[in-house]
Amino acid sequence: MEGVNVSTHPEIPGEPTQTSTALLEKATAAIQGFGPVNKIHQHLCAFHFYGHDMTRQVEAHHFCGHQNEEFRQCLIYDRPDDDGRLIGLEYLVSEELFLTLPDEEKRFWHSHEFEVKSGVLFMPGVPGPIQRQDLEKVAKTYGKVFHFWQVDRGDTLPLGIPQVMMALTREGQLYQNLARDVERRYNVSFEKESENRAYMTGPAHGIHPMANGGGRGLQTVLREVECKPVGVDHSAARVFV
Amino acid sequence: MASSDANPGAMPPGDGSVPPGKPMTVGHHIVDKGAEMMQSLKPIKKMSQHVCTFAIYSHDMTRQIQTHHYVTRLNQDFLQCAVYDSDDSSARLIGVEYIISGGIFESLSPEEQKLWHSHAHEIKSGLWVNPRVPEMVVRPELENLAKTYGKFWCTWQTDRGDKLPMGPPALMMSPQELDLGIVKLDLVKKRDDKYNISTDALKTARAELPAPERINPQADYWKQNGKGFAIDVESTEMKKITAFP
Repeated sequence: MEGVNVSTHPEIPGEPTQTSTALLEKATAAIQGFGPVNKIHQHLCAFHFYGHDMTRQVEAHHFCGHQNEEFRQCLIYDRPDDDGRLIGLEYLVSEELFLTLPDEEKRFWHSHEFEVKSGVLFMPGVPGPIQRQDLEKVAKTYGKVFHFWQVDRGDTLPLGIPQVMMALTREGQLYQNLARDVERRYNVSFEKESENRAYMTGPAHGIHPMANGGGRGLQTVLREVECKPVGVDHSAARVFV
Repeated sequence: MASSDANPGAMPPGDGSVPPGKPMTVGHHIVDKGAEMMQSLKPIKKMSQHVCTFAIYSHDMTRQIQTHHYVTRLNQDFLQCAVYDSDDSSARLIGVEYIISGGIFESLSPEEQKLWHSHAHEIKSGLWVNPRVPEMVVRPELENLAKTYGKFWCTWQTDRGDKLPMGPPALMMSPQELDLGIVKLDLVKKRDDKYNISTDALKTARAELPAPERINPQADYWKQNGKGFAIDVESTEMKKITAFP
């Protein structure tokens, strides 16, 4: 079976950017502060599949920053290019933080041990020995991913509702044509890198049984609700911290 | 489990930091810096605007938040934003917003349109600002943006005290001129004080800004229907190729 390769470039609907708009944005880019995004220091390439459907797999380019030693937040693009589409986001937590989550919440989070040890998760452009210093930590973490734009089914716009995504947990899940395509483009070998990563270990307590969907699929559903919940005290002032 | 759950479930208090966790070691910083120099991070470098504005939870419109959007333009009609809860380097990534022109919005199915909100009021009222940029510089852009629609998913409800991102994403709505769409004055004042601006003065300055001829009634769904949206997550059979996990 083959995966759909979405590294080709369907056009987003719309007109090309006008010169005046581009110039204005050059000015704003120069004048304004970009504090939160200046923290993003790392590009990781990996694959996700839909939480209810392993047959739909997506190459995911993560751009990550650390909030602290135990927590990272990443923007996910379909390509690491100027015109890459922002398709989702991921949070990574240490095993310690993961274990503090209620069991219901743990289901959303996937383990990283296999992705890292198989070599499939890698940092484009960074030599192996340097990558491994960080990835040996990543192997022990858990991640929570939502995608908002289903590029693998050809959507030229971010339609529908957010999708919980999962990550590779064993051999035989990743479509080989998708794997070969990434290896070719980045001139890497997952197998060779995997040998170099054999020394790495996953979470100290083993992969938690509630992680990875608790072993089942997860699917999001949209529901209409009253927009002002009944029985809640609305008089309390809310101050944004 | 739903985005509309009042409380996400018990968590240990920790030291109160959001998120909790040990600080990074110097050694780790050094490794990161080294690796960073070898990577190009192109999509991040393409972010060209910082917008500070406000958003409202569609399933509970009494909850309003200040947001910081870091915006990338992909073409004249489409922008994508990484959304944070503040503008400093420790800001939490709380979601993603997509912005499209009126023309593209009209091409969406009615079902899809319900998930989007209009921007005209937010801009004309002065709530939407580009910190540090003189108003006259940004004014031509505001004319375009006033005609756009947005779709904003919030993945971390820090305003209710979540120390870690919990639950599924919540759909957000935009400030509007009536009812539940009016942003609380204390929120606006706090923002204005921080940036030393006046939302009211901007509203006056923007009075001449042309409003869109028509705002599609499928957007801002709550206005006509009194309803918002929640995302539920269901445990289900996964379609598989091989065993999982």
